[in-house]
Amino acid sequence: MSMSSATITGITLLAALAAMALLAPWLVPPGSPIHPASIDLSACNCPVGTPGHILGTDHLGRDIFGQAVWGARASLAVGLMAAAVAVSVGSLWGSFSALSGGLVDMIMMRIVDGLLSIPSIVLLLALQALVSTPALAGVLPAPVLEALAVTNYSFGLLPLVTVVLVVSATTWLEAARLAHAQVLAVKQQEYVLAARALGVGASGMLMRHLLPNARVVIVVEAALLVSDAVLMESGLSFLGLGLGPGIPSWGGMLASAQTALIQGNWWAAVVPGLFITATVLAVNLIGEGSLARTPRRKDSVKDVSAMSF
Amino acid sequence: MTGLILRRCISAVPLIFLVSVFAFALIRLVPGDPVDVLLGASEKDLSPEQVAALRHEMGLDQPPVKQYLAWLAGFWGEGELGRSYRDGRPVLAVIGERLPATVALVGTSLVLAGTLGIAFGLAMAWAATGRTVSYWSPILRMAALFLYSAPGFWLASIAIFCVGRWLPWLPISGLNDPGQAPTLASVAQHVLLPASILSLRRAAKLALFIRAMVLEEMSRDYVLIALAKGLSWSAVLARHILRNSLLPVVALLGLSLPALLGGSVLIETVFAWPGMGRLAVEAAFGRNYPLLLTLVVVYGAMVVVSTLIADLLYSLVDPRLRETQAISGLSGSPAASGMAS
Repeated sequence: MSMSSATITGITLLAALAAMALLAPWLVPPGSPIHPASIDLSACNCPVGTPGHILGTDHLGRDIFGQAVWGARASLAVGLMAAAVAVSVGSLWGSFSALSGGLVDMIMMRIVDGLLSIPSIVLLLALQALVSTPALAGVLPAPVLEALAVTNYSFGLLPLVTVVLVVSATTWLEAARLAHAQVLAVKQQEYVLAARALGVGASGMLMRHLLPNARVVIVVEAALLVSDAVLMESGLSFLGLGLGPGIPSWGGMLASAQTALIQGNWWAAVVPGLFITATVLAVNLIGEGSLARTPRRKDSVKDVSAMSF
Repeated sequence: MTGLILRRCISAVPLIFLVSVFAFALIRLVPGDPVDVLLGASEKDLSPEQVAALRHEMGLDQPPVKQYLAWLAGFWGEGELGRSYRDGRPVLAVIGERLPATVALVGTSLVLAGTLGIAFGLAMAWAATGRTVSYWSPILRMAALFLYSAPGFWLASIAIFCVGRWLPWLPISGLNDPGQAPTLASVAQHVLLPASILSLRRAAKLALFIRAMVLEEMSRDYVLIALAKGLSWSAVLARHILRNSLLPVVALLGLSLPALLGGSVLIETVFAWPGMGRLAVEAAFGRNYPLLLTLVVVYGAMVVVSTLIADLLYSLVDPRLRETQAISGLSGSPAASGMAS
């Protein structure tokens, strides 16, 4: 399978961002002056290119490059985890529904349709208000809380769990619809009929034949959901309903950049936005390269337009 | 045609019903129940009898189906769940105050998205046909992809910064000058910036779509024939290709409405636009569940209705669709595709 240049650009961009996120503890070690936790009020609003602060500092003197690197970790982690949950739940829901057919199919897909007609941000706000972090901290058992580093004075990683839950609860619908359509499309194909004739059960059919066949579509869908999730996380954090100040993320940077903007510091807002845009752009390029691939005819666009001379 | 309208309208009703069931189910998902939320920490100051009395007053001791029906009735402010926790007013009245601002914002952006998108798309298609200098095509395409990928609220804060610095006469927040009675001219001036930012993502999507459509149409046989019989390139483009490519564009434009509705929530917040989106954010912050969940229903209903309108308009434009399934078929609105749209 040859890849289009758009796909290659997208994959390269995404790989660079992922590498940045993975290497954060080495690129910006805790304790260094550019770590997001180091506040230096004597060096606030330094412009881009200041020695020691490549991308400048924000209104609290925090290094923007350091924040962006650590922010990549949180934003991409939320994106990947939420997409993983959404794709698994959605694919199972959609393919199970398509395989069942009849009344079960109708009810299951109508539920998806109904939820899809609520704008995702509104659903996100409602869910986030309902699954509040303090309430969750009261419900979860002690070992889980300990694993998430929840203490009396800090929620630790719990906001991450809440945001991932809420975002995936909003994004699994698209995955369910896609899986539904995919399974419906291949359900009548001969190899499926042959497998059924050989006595393969529903779960075996799903796991061994239908899902592997749809894997390219599922992978691309997962990538699209990662970008959706990154956008949603940044929107929530921007509103102040996301990860909170304890976990630096691109959306959180944008939220705190609102104060910096008033002081004339535009780079504090531009940088995290560019990182979010780069992530979404990379995924869109991958998606465009692989999903929108239509069988091209030999006499392509260029030939036709050349003939008119 | 009447039959079609009727059938589509009837198929929209169960969806709105479903949305209301979800919203109701969400209320029930609150840890504890609405009484705990309403009372908060003061619950321990009340005797169990008092709490039980409140629970009874709110109808929470009834079976779920009865509660659901009471909640529906409560939309008009009869039950406790139909009242905003903040000021005790009926939620529908609170939402009704904010509705016109959202409609004005989304309506203006739809017009802007259509105009900008089609103009930009045609420019991109023209550049892609190889009639201009070759570097224009990738530049325009990257610009469109960038605008399509950038989060709206980010573009909005950058735009506020730039406008505040270089165009100080253009208002950057609110619906009206403070302390003045709203006039049409002043509201029009205020809506300009938020509506343009909101329309950018949709315009970019529309432009990319038009480009793809035109390129697709160009590889068809009828274009070859038109060229072979000696028509000039521009005539083929204007008379054949565009005419065939623009039909789906009408559909996409109609389906932008739900997406714009979703995108307006954050844009309204950034620009302090007094619409439903900002109300939803305020409600989420204040854990104002009755208001928030009624907003879920109202937004859902608006999406269903606008998808319905888009469907009907499209079948009006394309007679082939009148008898068969419409493009979106109501199932699955595009509102879910990205919040920053």
